[in-house]
Amino acid sequence: MMERLYKRFPALLMARRNITRTKVRSVLAGLGIVIGVIAIASLGMFGVSLKYQLSQNLGDIGNQVIVTPAGDEGVQEITRRDVQRIERASTSSTVVPVKQRVDPISFDGRGSPTHELVSGMSHPAKTYTASEGRIPDPLRSGAVIGSDVAEEHDLRPGSTITVNNSTVRVKAVLESRDGFGFASPNNKIILPASSFADSGYDQVIITADSGTAANQSARAIRGDLNERRKRVNVQELGSIVDQINSAFSAVNTFLIGIGSISLLVAGVSILNVMLMSTVERREEIGVLRAVGYQKTDVLKIMLTEAVLLGIFGGLVGVVLSIGAGLAINHYVVNDVMATFRLQNMLYVVLAFGFGVITALVSGFYPAWKAANERPVEALRS
Amino acid sequence: MIEGEDVVKQYETGGQILTALKGIDFSVEPGDFVAIMGPSGSGKSTLLNILGLLDVPTEGTVRLDGEDVTDHTDKQRTLIRKQTIGFVFQQFYLLPTLTAQENVEVPRLFDDDEGISERAIDLLERVGLGDRLDHRPNELSGGQKQRVAIARSLINQPRIVLADEPTGNLDLDTGKQILDEFQNVTERDVAVIAVTHDELVTEYTDRTVNLIDGGIR
Repeated sequence: MMERLYKRFPALLMARRNITRTKVRSVLAGLGIVIGVIAIASLGMFGVSLKYQLSQNLGDIGNQVIVTPAGDEGVQEITRRDVQRIERASTSSTVVPVKQRVDPISFDGRGSPTHELVSGMSHPAKTYTASEGRIPDPLRSGAVIGSDVAEEHDLRPGSTITVNNSTVRVKAVLESRDGFGFASPNNKIILPASSFADSGYDQVIITADSGTAANQSARAIRGDLNERRKRVNVQELGSIVDQINSAFSAVNTFLIGIGSISLLVAGVSILNVMLMSTVERREEIGVLRAVGYQKTDVLKIMLTEAVLLGIFGGLVGVVLSIGAGLAINHYVVNDVMATFRLQNMLYVVLAFGFGVITALVSGFYPAWKAANERPVEALRS
Repeated sequence: MIEGEDVVKQYETGGQILTALKGIDFSVEPGDFVAIMGPSGSGKSTLLNILGLLDVPTEGTVRLDGEDVTDHTDKQRTLIRKQTIGFVFQQFYLLPTLTAQENVEVPRLFDDDEGISERAIDLLERVGLGDRLDHRPNELSGGQKQRVAIARSLINQPRIVLADEPTGNLDLDTGKQILDEFQNVTERDVAVIAVTHDELVTEYTDRTVNLIDGGIR
């Protein structure tokens, strides 16, 4: 098969023999490409894995919209009328208004109480599910607590806590969810809305079927409530996910930029090796020109050499990067097969392509120099 | 067949103009075996390079079959070299990475040439190296290398073979063998022009041109 290939591309035969002539030097030049390809591919895959891991964590809250009063505009609370308008604006979504205040709470009935943020909801069952006990719908008495609170204070349904000097029985513990900040249910303490004196609300949680539906609701609410004067802040977790994604893309681009520097160094080393070899082979190239090789033929041979270095270095780099990818995905995402996702493979192909192109570009000057040497000068002994 | 008329070659070195050839007339016919002799610096190699279309004269004309090739571009001259001229060098200049047979095939490697292997083997057999086809140059003696080089110079079926000190690196007996090969070549109507210091060469050539100080004596 090689015979046929060499017949078809004679430059390949010459180039391959020339590369094997100085094996150590060629291997070292190829090693630069190997390192460059690994750097780009594995940094790329690392970024993809991190992003994947993060969006998996955020995935189940991406369909929520949180509406809060626009405090900077002097709006203190969301009124019942506002809630109705929100309900109208966000069709087919679950709307749960929440009151909030800070109460002194004692979890074990003894000792001095600590101050905790307490939410008041009449229908917590609409947004949350219980892992232990049952959430009464509507919630008229008792308390529902998040899983972190339950764990920290060793509470379960039937335990009692003291809120504002009155004893309240825990009805249910909420199912733990991945998420962060204000949206996480894990550290919530929920009391019936009726136990709050004021009539307005501090927060409205809208849960839609999908991120897209959440986005529609958010826009509808902004359009309706903030039309004349800004009354509410509307936060979409989906858009936060988007922001995180785009931040990660920037980080990834930066990482790959760093990886590219190593390819640049590889390019310089190939340039150096090829220049040395054109100087050493000056007479040989002169002979080729004398026996009738055109400049372009010499150029072809030299460029083939450079590209072969790039391809061999690149292939070794690809194999090693896939190895690195397997390790990264094993430790970050806990799923080895995730390495073979399209996005990862794109990075591998991209790195390989960059490797070969780097070799080609750095081979160009030495090749051009060799091709343009006058045979008379080269053969002057 | 190939002729130089009033060929002048000047080099500029360090602001000085050095005249290597001072108006030389020279011509070779098919089957001629010509020696160009002269001391170092007499311009022999320069003349050979000009006749081999590796270099262009400063003044004068070079004609091939009556056609003026003096002002041809590099590309055209390269093509003519390939079609008409074979080269043999003192240092052989074989490619160390290629076998004897591949070295002979080198000039035609970029052509889609089916019969190339057979021709190369045939040429190597003709110079007595039929059993050395797969040897690399470092496995061959000086005489064998020069014979490979001669086979290489003939692969394009040239009409002129230019040899620069072909026996320069060889002992007396090997030199004679090489000159015998050249004589065989001229019997096939190929002209051989050899630049040499070696008096031995003149015993084989039809005529000898003495170059001294850039002029023919």
